[in-house]
Amino acid sequence: MNKHLLIIITLTLFTSCASNQWQTKSEAFPAMYDERQPVTVVVVPAINNTTAAEASNYFNVTITEPVANQGYYPMPVEIVRDIFLKEGIVDSKLIKGMPTSIFKKNFGADAVLFVTINAWDTNYAVLAANVTVGLEYVMISTSTNEIIWQYSSSIAVDTAGQSSGFIIADILSTAINTAVTDYVPIAKSVNAQAFIALPHGKYSKQHRLDGDQNVVYKYLKEAATD
Amino acid sequence: MSNNLIGFFLLVTILISGCTTTNANTGYYWGNYSGTLYALKINPGEKALSRHINELQSIIDTSNKKGIKVPPGVHAELGYRLAQSNEKARAKQELSNEVLTYPESKSFIERVIVFLGLGE
Repeated sequence: MNKHLLIIITLTLFTSCASNQWQTKSEAFPAMYDERQPVTVVVVPAINNTTAAEASNYFNVTITEPVANQGYYPMPVEIVRDIFLKEGIVDSKLIKGMPTSIFKKNFGADAVLFVTINAWDTNYAVLAANVTVGLEYVMISTSTNEIIWQYSSSIAVDTAGQSSGFIIADILSTAINTAVTDYVPIAKSVNAQAFIALPHGKYSKQHRLDGDQNVVYKYLKEAATD
Repeated sequence: MSNNLIGFFLLVTILISGCTTTNANTGYYWGNYSGTLYALKINPGEKALSRHINELQSIIDTSNKKGIKVPPGVHAELGYRLAQSNEKARAKQELSNEVLTYPESKSFIERVIVFLGLGE
């Protein structure tokens, strides 16, 4: 009897906990499952709130690929950046304050994607090294000006591989220790993780088939709202 | 736990990028796009520019050979980089190839053509 009660309590705790933390993609981002879902996306060069000046480069060169692979039409970020620069817009923070309808008018974009780097902390120790990357992604519709997708997270990537036990990580760490350019794979994997939560777009085989994937942390969504 | 998870994601990402050459959801082939773009960004110059141009061309050639769609923006960026290295005729051709492949890029490409001063 007691045993059964314990099982029931455990099950209840487990299910309530799970339903509190996780949401399906369509619950979290309903606009991505109706006519508000964008095809063309302007990716604004990353806003860098860290002291690591090079961090935005890593993300600017690696973001087009995953957005396209998720089924969207991203406009090449470097071209967009050059056009902004010619217009005298050097700081992406200024772009965030502009009405998004500008992007519809000038580029034919259905949505704007902002990426903010809030942390890029490299820690070196004798046997271990890691980089903590804090990121926030916000996608805004240019027709309704509403947030249609967002993701934020802080990810620590082990760059030394001593504690992970993965051979691949060891290879990676060797690469990172030898050349600074090898942060590109790290930015790539951080981006790849973030875009798991992005509903698939028009050109993906999974378009409109991924709505019930339970992959969105509720607190992440709420945290990114402010 | 989270370290293992990250390790797992890294492993998966690396295996995917190492073994398969095309994306599972869209079928796109990207070659070393981000690598040559990054090299151009940190060390701009003729050499890095022509390497990136060659990489973009090779993504197009490989995609055509495999019978898959060229990823979005690749024709556009090739046109853009060719204009930077003063190959205007080829640049125009690639920019119009982008619109042929992705008609929704029309407004964007028109904007790029004005920006590059390639209009009549």
